[in-house]
Amino acid sequence: MVIPLLLMLLAVLVYPMGSSLWVSFENYRLTALHARHFVGLANYAKIPRDARFWNAMGNTLVFVSTAVFLEFVLGFALALLLHRRVRMRNFFRSVLLTPMFITPVAVGLIFRFMLNSEFGIIPYILKTIGIEVDFFATSPLALFSIVFIDVWQWTPFMMLLLLAGLESLPREPFEAARVDGASAWFTFRRVTFPLMRPVIVVAVIIRMLDAFKVFEYLYVITRGGPGNSTESIMYYIYRVGFRFFRMGEAAAMSYVLALIILLLVFLEFQLLRRARST
Amino acid sequence: MRHVAILLSLLVVGSGLVLGAKTLTIIMEEVPDTDVIRELIPEFEAQNPDLKIVIDAMPYEAMRDKILTEFLAPVSSYDIVIVDNPWTDEFAAGGFLVDLTDRVMALEGYDFEDFAKPIRDIGVYKGRIFGLPFYNYALAMIVRQDVFDEAGIPIPTNIADYVKACRQLTNKEEGFYGAAMQAKRGYKIFEEGKNYMYALGADVFDEEGNIVINSHLAKAALHLYIANLEAAAPKGAVNWGFDEAFRLMAAGKAATMITYNWMLPSLNNPEKTGELAGKFSFYEVPGGKAVLGAWYWSIPHNAADIEASWRFISWVTSKAVEKERVILGGAPVRMSVLTDPEVWEKGYGKQYYLTLVKILEDAEPLVRGLHAEEVIETIGLEMNNAAAGIKTVDQALDDAAKAVAEILGG
Repeated sequence: MVIPLLLMLLAVLVYPMGSSLWVSFENYRLTALHARHFVGLANYAKIPRDARFWNAMGNTLVFVSTAVFLEFVLGFALALLLHRRVRMRNFFRSVLLTPMFITPVAVGLIFRFMLNSEFGIIPYILKTIGIEVDFFATSPLALFSIVFIDVWQWTPFMMLLLLAGLESLPREPFEAARVDGASAWFTFRRVTFPLMRPVIVVAVIIRMLDAFKVFEYLYVITRGGPGNSTESIMYYIYRVGFRFFRMGEAAAMSYVLALIILLLVFLEFQLLRRARST
Repeated sequence: MRHVAILLSLLVVGSGLVLGAKTLTIIMEEVPDTDVIRELIPEFEAQNPDLKIVIDAMPYEAMRDKILTEFLAPVSSYDIVIVDNPWTDEFAAGGFLVDLTDRVMALEGYDFEDFAKPIRDIGVYKGRIFGLPFYNYALAMIVRQDVFDEAGIPIPTNIADYVKACRQLTNKEEGFYGAAMQAKRGYKIFEEGKNYMYALGADVFDEEGNIVINSHLAKAALHLYIANLEAAAPKGAVNWGFDEAFRLMAAGKAATMITYNWMLPSLNNPEKTGELAGKFSFYEVPGGKAVLGAWYWSIPHNAADIEASWRFISWVTSKAVEKERVILGGAPVRMSVLTDPEVWEKGYGKQYYLTLVKILEDAEPLVRGLHAEEVIETIGLEMNNAAAGIKTVDQALDDAAKAVAEILGG
């Protein structure tokens, strides 16, 4: 029974990973396959000097940390609201989940025109109250506009995970806190939050891993501009690999990215462990 | 039971018909010229009952990766590919395209020399023909003729006058702009801005092949481009592509646009621009020399039946079919068609085609060579850096020159 599963894993996971790892040690250009040859660590050696790689990595880290933080704060607030017995709770839950069912390319296209300074409804409304904003024309704002779009789409996902966590918490600690006369804030700080910590870590890791893959919004809205200010690491690797066909370099960058993500996940688990022990 | 029997017999007859005709699949871009080809296909299929044509149309961005993937397969699922001009040298050098030279030369009455010279040259790599011209997208200056006439401003013929006219016609408070521009990084800004470079005599390489994208003329051209962007275009245009610029023009909020020549019929179509239809005219880009873009019919080296593919592309690019295609609204590539009075009468009028002849007389692609796509993207990125104020013009074009040298060196 296990052998078919192992064969499947070998075919869809181990082989592609091994093959791409091998490619990362080669000068492998799709349009010049006759010139393919082993170059050792040369592709990896280029990365520390590749300013665009580190710029894209910096943009991605800013994007991931800002978007995931905002999604967590808003998602947790919404989860706490919906956890209470409010009227039409199921209706609100369904409505709030809608954005995450839209494909990100469509979301990107919708916001590309909704935020357009000449044709968009949002700049038009802002203009009526005297605020003129060009969401994608200037350097830091363009990246934060992309963050805003991500927050709009993925806060419901965070809310869903945290709501599931809240609903699975034991009742006894909350009843004990009520009997002892603890305030709502105290209960949240000393009971809800500590009990939710494992769920929070998992939710944040899942969203973080997904946010690292940000691609669609950039592809349809900014193409990484103005300048390189919204170029994410995935978009940059895509361009090197699939626009310029330098597959060896793109594979090496992908492995460096995988290592950085693994390191971040490891750090998060370490933080969780330290929090538990204190 | 009877219904099942009828259905089965229909299936048998249907599959027999399908099996009888060989299918040729063509990858194409989702653009108006592809629609024109769709209209011509029944005629080809009637003349060639053993062949059936299927078009797989898709957005531009999806095409290059997909075409290359097919080149690497044992047998390409596309029998014919259309190739954009920056890809031709790279694909030909990689051995991915069938050399069509002998077939073209052996075809009686085909007249390869009839294709406009700058266009036919792009399909030729190291003296051999790898792509036959499909349609051109040379850039032209489209203007709101009524706006120019009312303001009493003559149509600009040099780039300094163009920038001046754009500034004069701009009224930002009323939401009217002198130029609908597309300064998005990469291909778009370079495609537009290189017309300014041509106007001042600048280029990416000089005649000896040295990199001169950071020459003082190129820098002056980029200064002029940015001045126009800041004074006569919406602020957001620094991140605009073709769609946004076209919308601005079609909405009657801009006086000029440097864009593909075949956009003129779209802008003068009442279904697209309502009351503005008929008010748009087109001219050569200021300075005379235009950026040239063109698409080519090619056959993948691993196509299943190269002779069948050749039968279609030799038919569709023949003089007679080119004439039909252009009358149906396709963008011309043959000089005989551009100067044919019947085409003038049934198409968009004499003036349109003669202006196009002038444009094609002096037009050149953005960049040629094995790394054209990367060079274009790189220069376009640096130009956008300057347009967005992230770098000075000097820094941006010096960095572009360095990056191009690295790309060509690697």
